[in-house]
Amino acid sequence: MASPRLECIDIGSDYCPCYLAELNECIVCSQLQGKKFCDCNWKGVCVFQEFVWAKRKAKAKRDTMVSNIIDKQKINENLFILTLSVPNKMARDLNEPGSYVFLRNEFSPSFFDTPMSIMYADEINGFVKVAIQINGPKTSLIDLSEKRICIRGPYWNGLFGHKYIKGLKNSKCLVVLRGIAQAPGVIVINKLYRNNNKITVIIDKGKTGQFFISQYLDQLNLNIITTDILSAEGQEILKNAIADNDLKLIYSGGSDEQHLNIFNYMDLYNNEAYLAASNNNTICCGEGICGSCEVQIDGQKVRSCKVQLDVEKAIERRILYG
Amino acid sequence: MVKVVVIGGGWAGCAAALTAKKAGADVVLLEKTDMLLGCGLVGGIMRNNGRYTAAEEIKYLGGHELIEITDMCARHTNVDFPGHKHANLYDITKVEPAIRNMLFSKGIKIKFISRAADVLMESNTKIKGIVLADDSVECGDVFIETTGSTGPMGNCLRYGNGCSMCILRCPSFGPRISISYRAGIDDILGMRSDEVYGAFSGSCKLNKDSLSDEIREKLDKDGVVVLPVPEEDVNMEKLKLKVCQQYALPEYAKNVVLLDTGHAKLMTPFYPLDKLRKIPGLERARFEDPYSGGKANSIRYLSIAPRNNSMKVKGLDNLLCAGEKSGLFTGHTEAMVTGCLAGHNSVRLSLGMPLLELPRNLASGDLIAYENECIETKEGLKNRYTFAGGKYFERMKSLGLYTTDTNIIKEKIERDNLIGIYDEKLV
Repeated sequence: MASPRLECIDIGSDYCPCYLAELNECIVCSQLQGKKFCDCNWKGVCVFQEFVWAKRKAKAKRDTMVSNIIDKQKINENLFILTLSVPNKMARDLNEPGSYVFLRNEFSPSFFDTPMSIMYADEINGFVKVAIQINGPKTSLIDLSEKRICIRGPYWNGLFGHKYIKGLKNSKCLVVLRGIAQAPGVIVINKLYRNNNKITVIIDKGKTGQFFISQYLDQLNLNIITTDILSAEGQEILKNAIADNDLKLIYSGGSDEQHLNIFNYMDLYNNEAYLAASNNNTICCGEGICGSCEVQIDGQKVRSCKVQLDVEKAIERRILYG
Repeated sequence: MVKVVVIGGGWAGCAAALTAKKAGADVVLLEKTDMLLGCGLVGGIMRNNGRYTAAEEIKYLGGHELIEITDMCARHTNVDFPGHKHANLYDITKVEPAIRNMLFSKGIKIKFISRAADVLMESNTKIKGIVLADDSVECGDVFIETTGSTGPMGNCLRYGNGCSMCILRCPSFGPRISISYRAGIDDILGMRSDEVYGAFSGSCKLNKDSLSDEIREKLDKDGVVVLPVPEEDVNMEKLKLKVCQQYALPEYAKNVVLLDTGHAKLMTPFYPLDKLRKIPGLERARFEDPYSGGKANSIRYLSIAPRNNSMKVKGLDNLLCAGEKSGLFTGHTEAMVTGCLAGHNSVRLSLGMPLLELPRNLASGDLIAYENECIETKEGLKNRYTFAGGKYFERMKSLGLYTTDTNIIKEKIERDNLIGIYDEKLV
């Protein structure tokens, strides 16, 4: 029986084939799923061929390395921004919408790995910036890190709808960012801007209490609206922004409830535009191995840390079925 | 208006598009690369042995444009080469533009660089549309799958010597998929004689300019050159590898047989370059197709759909098939025979008319039916079914189906009441 087509974010990258290929669990390639014949969702690369060239092993592995903390900027009691030194190549790889790394305190065991979206990446000078909101044991321990920190990456499935963001040119789009999700929004906005798109940004400070990415957006010519999305006024602003029929893409950076909120308005007022959304699933390994990120879509188990999901289905599942 | 979507622009797909159009349908032909004819771009052999009969049958049944064009583009006519008589060798650079123009002139819509990636089903047994690689969907009433059975890369790697960079150009244009498989019907697989799946494509091509003047001139003049292989390099085992049993004769292991189709067609799946260059006259030889013909060739027969003798796929309401997708066939003529029938029947199917089966007193009808019977057995899966040679040509001769007398063929088709059947407009 033919299996439904899934897209893997890592395909064709330096890290494809991955552990899943070694274990006959490749997301895309049927030859590496235990079947003996080709039936793939071609994305320009023959994964099976790459696997054989790599002597039937994962081509390269993402190991943990120790990074220097170049700068720590405290925004408020619960929010700080770390600047971390990384090899130039890693910075270049991380300059992608949806990119993230795992961080943990230098002396913590591996299960303290916390996925953190990249806010800013500088490949010339070799550093990245992450914004961290303290809300539990892992983030508290990261806060205690002083000079060095453990980092593992690069990973890329921090948002769904990657191809729509990369593919949009000379069009109108809307970016909605709430709270800590402002951080990954910076690279999304930069990418859309570089492709000559006209961007409206709705910022809701959320629990962070600050529009902390404003300095990263200063250089750009954007239409920025700050509001409380959950208020009646905010909902009106959101609705009107979505109802613009020239809009080709909406990016929602926030909770699944926010994604659903935007999706419902799109259903009513604008069902031509594409929706891209932040991936809020629990991610622990990023490699499709640990099972934390597993979701069920149409009765099929899907590794949401690697698979580019259909946003609509993913949020419905989460909201309706917990 | 009946809409027919043909997936795959090789010889079978072109034939199917032609007859579906003649029957009155609105036809869209989807092709993954930027040229039609697929393996026909590196083929060229027509009218050899039983294919002469089949070509005449195609003409009288109503697929005459295909034969007229291949005859007109022949570089050499009535050529004999080991095991084969009265062959035509067409010019591979002339045929594709001629077929393309002919199909356009009939009003067939051809969409290039339009690779099928998946199937959209209306129900468990009915196809609604073909999902292309760019996520668009081509909807239709009836579908004809002529995607072949060759490759793609992963299959050539697992069952052959890896990707040989052949004319199908998977690394550039993406792989074929099996429409019938995506629609829920499992594929049948052919086997090599040593019970491994698939078979190597039977020939490769040398760049004519890289051959000695003497060999090149002889090719231009006679159309065929036979050169002995050095004793130490004779390898009888490789005869078992290939698709084309009609070239699995000892002559083809002991000699290098070259045919002139515009390039120098070398009748063996691949030939290590250093060994090839030991042969006098081939010291500077290089491969034109596949680019890596020194090491490998594409693997065929990994994706055949179960079908009836009207070319309809079993288990689905609105899918037909032709060419290598429809059986262990090999050759342009065989693709045209099955393609013409599938195209015509696609319109009959959508109109609820009974489908045509070619009678077994015609070589075309017998081939289609005989192959279907044979592949029920394991032995049958190791054979190939071609008018050009091997067991089937022997069968043709013993049943009296083989003739080069065009009048006999015409009278037979008249008696069968099928003259110009494909020219009939049904809707």
